Amino acid sequence: MKTFPKPATIEPMSQRMNVEFPYKRSTGEVVGRFLAGLRDQKKIWGLRVSRQGVVVPPQSYSEVDAKAGGEWVEVAETGVVTAVAEVTRPIEGLHPSSEPFAFVLVKLDGADTALAHVVLDRLDRLRVGSRVRATWAPDGERRGTIRDIEAFEIVD
Amino acid sequence: MSEPPKERVKYIDTNLNLPYHYYAGDYKALYLRALKDKKILGSRCSKSGKVFVPPVIASPETLAPCDELVELPHRGIVTTFCVVNVPVYGREIEIPYVVASVALDGADVSLYSLIQECAAADVHMGIRVEAVWKPDGERQGDHTDIRYFRPTGEPDAPFESFIHRL
Repeated sequence: MKTFPKPATIEPMSQRMNVEFPYKRSTGEVVGRFLAGLRDQKKIWGLRVSRQGVVVPPQSYSEVDAKAGGEWVEVAETGVVTAVAEVTRPIEGLHPSSEPFAFVLVKLDGADTALAHVVLDRLDRLRVGSRVRATWAPDGERRGTIRDIEAFEIVD
Repeated sequence: MSEPPKERVKYIDTNLNLPYHYYAGDYKALYLRALKDKKILGSRCSKSGKVFVPPVIASPETLAPCDELVELPHRGIVTTFCVVNVPVYGREIEIPYVVASVALDGADVSLYSLIQECAAADVHMGIRVEAVWKPDGERQGDHTDIRYFRPTGEPDAPFESFIHRL
């Protein structure tokens, strides 16, 4: 086998690339109705399941004892922030905003679990414990996704 | 209304987009640029003498430096392979097609490549293959410069000759 002479200097090589996973997910009976509630009713629905209370977003079984089924309960569009992760340098095409924003968990009034969403404005005032309210995508622009709630805004 | 709509949302699009800026490193940069000149480079371990393709800086086995770069022949053996029957997003090849591990003659590890110019059912372990390159002037210095491997028609390699370099 021929030896290949190693050059004294090696020019660096790099490439920008986009790795794309164009998934389409099946929602299932419970989350599918939750999303339809956002789109068609502008309402946030939870499900009261065994030994867990009102779960938002809902799931079709209890995480505590695995019992299936539950009762639909409408929860408020206001709630309290239970966790904050601020993204100061968002990545284009990956994050839901091109400006600094925060991922938050929001325990909505009437719910016993917290919902993951975003806060886009007044991040300097955002704390665990902040009161927030959902802002909605306009009628006709809600597509049956979690972003039908555009974001949560801080309530004074 | 005391419950959400019965008519549910059935699907959601969850496009995951990962923008990378990939740096090749010295050896991978040399390897890719050499493809443009129709050369396949490997590196030889200073301790075991094993040849790695694409070249690596150090052997994952002995951890010794692999500082000798070598030029490999364009022929080898299909060591193991897979017949793809499901179309994959972003890959416009007529199914069924074959993706194989190809151990180049003199290399101790194998490369992944397409096998073409024969029926998928004719590909088997030990079949001898050769690289089919993009024509001069069309090679860019990336892994698509070798379009695929095709059978050479030579006699099959014996199992013992490739079992340790799958």
